[in-house]
Amino acid sequence: MKKRLNLTPYWLILPSVIYLALFFAWPMVQALTLSIWDGDARLQLRAEATLRSPVSDWLPRGAPIEVVERRGNTVDPDDLGQSNLRTEVWFYIRGESADGRTVEGWAPEARVRVRETDAAGAPTLGTIRPRIGGSDPLTTVYAEPSVVSDVVGRIESNAVVAIERQTILELWYLVRGERDGAAIEGWAPSRYVQVFGDNVRGRIDRGDAGELTLRYLRSMINDRFFWPALWTTLLLMAIIIPVQFVLAIIMALIIQQQLRGNTFFLYVFAIALGVSELAVGIVWYAIFTQNGYLNSILVSLGWLAAPIPYLTADTRHWIIVAIWLAEIWRATALVMVIVVAGLQAISHEILEAADLFGANLWKRVRYVILPMLKPSLQVALILRTILALQVFAVVIALSGGDVVTVLANEAYRQYYTLRNVNVAAAYAALILLLSMFSAAVYLRMVRSHEEMQE
Amino acid sequence: MAAIRIENVTKKFGNFVAVDNVTLIVEDQEFMVLLGPSGCGKTTLLRAVAGLGMADSGRICIGDRDVTYLPPRKRGISMVFQSYAIFPHMNVYDNIAFGLKMNKFDKAEIDRRVREAAELLHIETMLDRYPSKLSGGQRQRVAVARAIAMKSQVLLMDEPLSNLDALLRLEMRAELKRLLAEIKATTIYVTHDQIEALSMGDRIAVMREGKILQCDHPTVVYDRPATDFVGGFIGNPPMNFLDAQVQRRDGAVEVAIGDFKLRPHPLMEPLLRGYDGKPIVIGIRAENMEALAAPADDALKVRVLVVEPLGAQNLLTVKIGANIVKVSTHPSFEVAPDQELWLRFPADKIRWVDRESGRVLYPELN
Ligand SMILES: Nc1ncnc2c1ncn2[C@@H]1O[C@H](COP(=O)(O)OP(=O)(O)O)[C@@H](O)[C@H]1O
Ligand SMILES: [Mg+2]
Repeated sequence: MKKRLNLTPYWLILPSVIYLALFFAWPMVQALTLSIWDGDARLQLRAEATLRSPVSDWLPRGAPIEVVERRGNTVDPDDLGQSNLRTEVWFYIRGESADGRTVEGWAPEARVRVRETDAAGAPTLGTIRPRIGGSDPLTTVYAEPSVVSDVVGRIESNAVVAIERQTILELWYLVRGERDGAAIEGWAPSRYVQVFGDNVRGRIDRGDAGELTLRYLRSMINDRFFWPALWTTLLLMAIIIPVQFVLAIIMALIIQQQLRGNTFFLYVFAIALGVSELAVGIVWYAIFTQNGYLNSILVSLGWLAAPIPYLTADTRHWIIVAIWLAEIWRATALVMVIVVAGLQAISHEILEAADLFGANLWKRVRYVILPMLKPSLQVALILRTILALQVFAVVIALSGGDVVTVLANEAYRQYYTLRNVNVAAAYAALILLLSMFSAAVYLRMVRSHEEMQE
Repeated sequence: MAAIRIENVTKKFGNFVAVDNVTLIVEDQEFMVLLGPSGCGKTTLLRAVAGLGMADSGRICIGDRDVTYLPPRKRGISMVFQSYAIFPHMNVYDNIAFGLKMNKFDKAEIDRRVREAAELLHIETMLDRYPSKLSGGQRQRVAVARAIAMKSQVLLMDEPLSNLDALLRLEMRAELKRLLAEIKATTIYVTHDQIEALSMGDRIAVMREGKILQCDHPTVVYDRPATDFVGGFIGNPPMNFLDAQVQRRDGAVEVAIGDFKLRPHPLMEPLLRGYDGKPIVIGIRAENMEALAAPADDALKVRVLVVEPLGAQNLLTVKIGANIVKVSTHPSFEVAPDQELWLRFPADKIRWVDRESGRVLYPELN
């Protein structure tokens, strides 16, 4: 018997799939490719001097080249807006040549001064510009809008010429270069090529196609802030998460005891959830700063002779302690809320049975409560780890982001201060990778029994 | 020796008295059934014995220890919960072994006892399964196995069969009875099912609204109920109750059911004299009335409303005055609805109920 595929569930999840793809997967992939994709690493060379011609080969950015030939080429109207386009305008002119003939042909815009235009703004009449210096006082007229085409005549300076039409050209070079020891030749638009003073030698300025690269990752790793940021982040995670879990579980167990006023406790514990990260940072800054609460109290109690400056470049450990406290203060309640919800799902009778069969409080926690909380703890652990990787505003508030730095802060610095989008993306990718890795580890480590799902 | 002595235990929830000054003594190795309708406080009383939910007043002793203030794990009891309360994150083996592990038995002993208990309950083939993969009956066996593996001297069971379907319940009832006879623990068994109570218990304590109405052997509770409630709660069909009137004639006591006159048992006469001229309630079991096809002097004429053939007996429904009465007859006694027949009331089977208090009157008690 063949089972008929039921499509309804798939239709129902389709909107979410589209939503995920559109607003998560796609932008994320786009953002992350920034960190490993060098967008202009290669200049594509073509067989003919036009973009319509197929790509025959490529040269890496920065490769030295020789310009073999130049040719003007009508610009694709779509390209006209591009700022890096190197264009020339050529006029088709008619006038009297130096030897008295009437000549008709192309001259570059640079040689003609426009005197009259028609209603639409197109030039109709001009004069030949005088040449200043130079050996040849005459202006050449070409058969084609290109300096390499046939010469049809030469006109004296200041001669009046009629302008019949104009064309906008982009200059193309036939370049010759070398890649991996092999000589390569092909046409390239001039805008990608830098030509040196001798008008022959030059180099590929930038490319028009990308390739995979490790250089952004390498520059991230070689950044002098990278290792401190990574270590601080991991250190914060390593001390925040266990402490938070222990505290949260204890808090949840207290609330679970149904003591008088436990809802009050729940609210008090949960207040910190509503405070923004930056505000928390500022609160703890106010506590730890040189004339802050902590010092005031210690000094007025007589325990300290003079205020200790905690938050300075020489006291990194104090800053880390302050960040640590602020994070615990801020986010323990999140874990607690999840644990409380998980605890409520454990039936009273199960715990009573455990008690009856000889388990004291510690054993009940160890053998019944914790194992049954596994799914909740897993969720909380994943959530907490991701949040710990994102710690940012607290660090900025307490250290200014220089003395102590974390990965998220480095991503911000690269993106905003250094304007280095690719390296920022590399940091983001690293954070993502760490999150996914730790989530995968937790899911394996604390994998709840399939059998438990009733 | 592990007799359970419950002395004057009271448990309140707010103003509501769930267990009202209960005193109950369960002998060593006795199987005591706590029977009563839902909400009468059976679970509350059992939990007080277990130490789950401290009693407000009174004393509980197990053996010669006063356990009133001991936590559950120190009372030396094991329990089968109404909802089984087996641990969903442990397989059957670990569930059964839990109590033994917590009490630090050595590994070999744990293994031996787990297998023994599993074998007793016929679950030895599913030791590595998880509870979610078990049927209701199997979970129930796990819960029982976990309790008996402890070999505690006291075993408490809270409606262990109530979640099972009828057939399984019947089967498990017999198995449990055999098992409990084998392990010889002092047992308190809570149920709201009177058949379960009658068929299993050494003694039955009938509870109502937090009080114990009667505590005695099943046959006694069945035959000589202490109150009309007990008579009406136990037995299927329940005891019949008829309104009657006590009269004196020629110095002798007579009881009138409508026009029909009944002579009470001579032993009852002195007691009934006090009811002269007053109404009284007659209680009689369906199987204790004699149905006659022909009129007799000492028989009451009734009309049959319904005939229910039940195989081993026929159950007739008749109306006497305002009371509906069930009569059980032998299947060979031929009768059809709307037919008339005559009922004879054997004097020694009649129970006399005080109308005001609901107490059943017994001559030897006065
Ligand atoms: N934790 C509690 N809080 C308030 N009332 C309760 C509680 N537990 C039981 N009761 C009440 O006590 C009465 C007896 O309950 P219980 O002992 O569970 O009855 P049962 O005989 O059905 O086991 C019920 O009316 C119930 O509503
Ligand atoms: Mg109950």
